[in-house]
Amino acid sequence: MIIKLYKFGDLLISRPAGREAYLSAKAYLFTKTPQIIEFDFEQVKVLTPSWIDEFITLLKKEYPQVKIEFHKSNNPTVISSLKVISSSS
Amino acid sequence: MYIWNNPSEFLIITPESASSLSGGSDRPFDFVVSIDYNITMDIFSLTKSKTRRKILEQFLSRPDQDYYLHQLKRKLSVSVGNIRRELIALTKIGLFQSYRKGRLVYYKINQQSVLFNTLKTFMKKTTIDMSENIVQKGFSWVTKSSPFQTSPDLYCQTRDVFQVRLQTFSQHLEQKLGIVAYLVTALAGEIGNNSFDHNLGQWPDIPGIFFAHDDNQKIIVLADRGQGILKTIRNVIPQVSADRHALKIAFTQVISGRFAEKRGNGLKFVTQVLKDKKWRLRFDSGKASLEIFPNQKMKIIEKKSVIKGCIAVLEY
Repeated sequence: MIIKLYKFGDLLISRPAGREAYLSAKAYLFTKTPQIIEFDFEQVKVLTPSWIDEFITLLKKEYPQVKIEFHKSNNPTVISSLKVISSSS
Repeated sequence: MYIWNNPSEFLIITPESASSLSGGSDRPFDFVVSIDYNITMDIFSLTKSKTRRKILEQFLSRPDQDYYLHQLKRKLSVSVGNIRRELIALTKIGLFQSYRKGRLVYYKINQQSVLFNTLKTFMKKTTIDMSENIVQKGFSWVTKSSPFQTSPDLYCQTRDVFQVRLQTFSQHLEQKLGIVAYLVTALAGEIGNNSFDHNLGQWPDIPGIFFAHDDNQKIIVLADRGQGILKTIRNVIPQVSADRHALKIAFTQVISGRFAEKRGNGLKFVTQVLKDKKWRLRFDSGKASLEIFPNQKMKIIEKKSVIKGCIAVLEY
């Protein structure tokens, strides 16, 4: 399953917003237990580690078997955020 | 035609009345800024309107560039009607010129105008004053023993208010800096939201944050009157006793002040971006003051004065 993050807004910044996005994705997008989740950052302007960490932490907690993949992005905030969360996880 | 600045009003003087005034008036002539035009304005009136100021900043930063109305609308996020009204007034006083190219009317700043150089100097000076002012205002807000009302434009009581202001700031900055604006927004977002994350429901006196920016001087100030870094870090490492140690941990280790939650990489992200972009940050909390310099060095000192909560000054 591909999650197009721009559908949650183009400024993905705070933890509560990341949690809200996850809960919405769970309710409306995960119609069956997801096996692979691909994050697509196209059209996202600002991503912070707080936002994506909140989304992924909840996702991993509720679906421990899920495989997470990130699409490549040239956006510097996406690159830096993924670098930080991958080095801390 | 002569003009000078009267603090309460602006005055237009005809050549006839000027001769009598120059001989008999006790008003200072230091304020004369233009003698060229049939209709003119004083320099303070020129920069008083927000829209006019935005237009002037845009043209003064790139004086050789001509713009048509819709281009300016996109760059300045101001309605075409407001821009047109200001440009017509500025063209009347000779500071701008317009010409038609196809179906579009272009505006250009008149670099031969007497006002041009005066304005350039004036705008630069007021911008610097404003930057000093926002840093000063931020420090004042977090050092006073009891909270005081700061300007409503600089105060975000809730995260929602902060989010909206950050979005507006980001859009404006994007027009000037392009993709780099996203990184600046991300840093401001992380620092500002940290204040809400760690103080929600526990603000010692006044909830919310101070958020001010000067995108000409490229400075952002974020501050809160929250619990401060030491108290937050002590939630997970009780043995930390000094503000400077707490600040070092906050910026260098992945540790969450919100016990039992796996988080705490926001400030590490800030550090990493500062390092990549060679930007500068000063972050004070309690008695400690941390600085990250463009050469990537980090310095933490202890001061006599105490910050209630935190204050961050980012130079990008």
